[in-house]
Amino acid sequence: MEFLKKISARSRERDSKDEQPYLSIVIPVYNEADNIELLWQSLYKVLNQLGKTFEVIFVDDGSTDGTRETLANLAHDYPAVKAILFRANFGQSAAMAAGFKKSAGQVVIAMDGDLQNDPADIPKLLARLGEGYDVVSGWRKNRQDNYLIRKVPSKIANRIICSVTDVTLHDTGCSLKAFRGDLLRRISLYGELHRFIPALLRREGARIAELPVSHHARKFGTSKYNLSRTFRVIMDLITIRFLLRHLSAPLNFFATFSFFCLFTVLLLSGFGLFAIWHDRTPFSELNILVILILLLCVTGIQFLFYGLVAKLIVQSGSRRLSDFQLFTKQTVVTGYDNFAA
Amino acid sequence: METLERIKIASVVPDNEVKDMTTQKVSVIVALKNQAEQLPELNIDLQTTFRQFGRDFEIIYVDDGSTDRTWRELLELARGWNNIKLVKLRTTFGESSVLDAGRNLACGEYIIYFTCRVNINPKDLGKLLEKIMGGADVVVGVRHPRRDSRLNQLVSKVFNAMTNHFAKLGLSDINSGVIGVRRSVLEHVPFYGALNAFIPVMARRQGYRVEEEQVEQLQGRFNQSLYPKDYIRRFLDLISVLFLSNYSKKPLHFLGFAGALFAILGAAINIYLFFYRILGIGGIAGKPMLLLGTLLLIIGIQMISIGLLGEIIIFTHAKDIQEYNIEEIIE
Repeated sequence: MEFLKKISARSRERDSKDEQPYLSIVIPVYNEADNIELLWQSLYKVLNQLGKTFEVIFVDDGSTDGTRETLANLAHDYPAVKAILFRANFGQSAAMAAGFKKSAGQVVIAMDGDLQNDPADIPKLLARLGEGYDVVSGWRKNRQDNYLIRKVPSKIANRIICSVTDVTLHDTGCSLKAFRGDLLRRISLYGELHRFIPALLRREGARIAELPVSHHARKFGTSKYNLSRTFRVIMDLITIRFLLRHLSAPLNFFATFSFFCLFTVLLLSGFGLFAIWHDRTPFSELNILVILILLLCVTGIQFLFYGLVAKLIVQSGSRRLSDFQLFTKQTVVTGYDNFAA
Repeated sequence: METLERIKIASVVPDNEVKDMTTQKVSVIVALKNQAEQLPELNIDLQTTFRQFGRDFEIIYVDDGSTDRTWRELLELARGWNNIKLVKLRTTFGESSVLDAGRNLACGEYIIYFTCRVNINPKDLGKLLEKIMGGADVVVGVRHPRRDSRLNQLVSKVFNAMTNHFAKLGLSDINSGVIGVRRSVLEHVPFYGALNAFIPVMARRQGYRVEEEQVEQLQGRFNQSLYPKDYIRRFLDLISVLFLSNYSKKPLHFLGFAGALFAILGAAINIYLFFYRILGIGGIAGKPMLLLGTLLLIIGIQMISIGLLGEIIIFTHAKDIQEYNIEEIIE
């Protein structure tokens, strides 16, 4: 018994030395100076009661108020707090990517820095994760936001994102989410991909669950949400749909267009030949038809080449892609025992 | 706060503040091409200017494919001074390559780069160094007063106005060819091709502190001023810089927008013609509008396709993408 105690003590010591916490909390913040202290206090209470090792990573996305100083002070005062300070504003995906890359925990939880998520939900998320899921997404059942400006657009956006990505969640926009760390660190976020994290993880074979979480109204600061970016969101939706559906076989996607064009060419040519041969229409009257045929022909062939180039690109990068798919599929099957929460 | 248990600080003091400032070296990189006559005087000026700062410095002369006695002159110089490094490029590779070659050899924390082509007073380079030591990340030399040809000045003005407009910067002489920069900045800012002229633009995008300092332009030969084709290339570079910095991670945002515009316009024309024909208003066979509509539709769809191809490329290489620039990590 004495021996076993020693070993466990040593391993605990090693854990703290290697700084391999069980739980990593990643919080991207942008101009949230008033909220950070409060957030940290409530987080600290919850995390201490958990009895697990933890780290809290704040990622400052180029704030211009006192956020950076507050974070620097926190990080100096508590070893569990890590602050990543960006030089300029690079967006939420970049902030989350930096935080995830820095995180070392077996479980990673992402949340907002605006106090609208409640840290008290963290134990529940962990329990749910322990049931054998890889991703647990929060669901703000009683949302404390303006009905018309926030709730309705959010519901619509959720519907669209769900149908585009084929991941059915009640509230994909909720930023409180828990992930298995090794799985999460295998996806790369850039652009606006943070909106589609569940879908990207699902592509790696993750099991996704959701859990109702509480939601508070905003106390300090203003929301950084604006409606003017609709167009870019639409483009991102097209992209993610395309990537999720067709990345494994891009040639099929482009070939469909190609065959459509070439089929039309065949029809039009048949029509033209019939007109010349049967109706004795002079060739000069068919000039528009001929040009149309040429145009469609060129397009059809070009689509075919786009498809081939796409295949080339995917193939040249396929080692990267397939490697981690293989890896994650294995861990999804074997890794559940780690989560006796 | 009182209720929370205070935990002792463990090795979190960043020691870059403690570092002795005088140990940081200065590297001066000089781009040369056929400048044999000015060389001895230039060297003396540089040596006296940088000696004043009382810190270790080196001068790296990069011969960008000279065809006169420049290289022999340089070898002669290197015999007399022990803080000179020489690089000879096989032929003229351009100023980005010069900067890259010089940077690889430089061991200084502060890098002052200038090209002899613009013929500035070397004594003013000290002012650039002072600004970087004062905390700026990038200092751009502004040629003032300017003494090169009117045409050069005009083209330069137009170029600066365009760059400032597109990149939303307030710099007055971006392409002066005189720049002072911290070494760490060059590691985060790409400058291949002819993009060295855009280092200030890209550094600002990354959140670095960019400042300006006036340098005097000397009377003298300007036989190596840029040709019109260089300016056209520079304009193309500007476009590629803007595209790379704005849309490189989301090509569909740009191509999708333009493509959708074309496709919708084309589709509208074709739908109009469809009803025109169906309702029996007239024949459409002789109408060139049909061609226009189809052409726009096809261009639009192709642009979107190319955008999707771009997205595939980015996604496939997503592991290598780092969209952010970390100033500091505090743990």
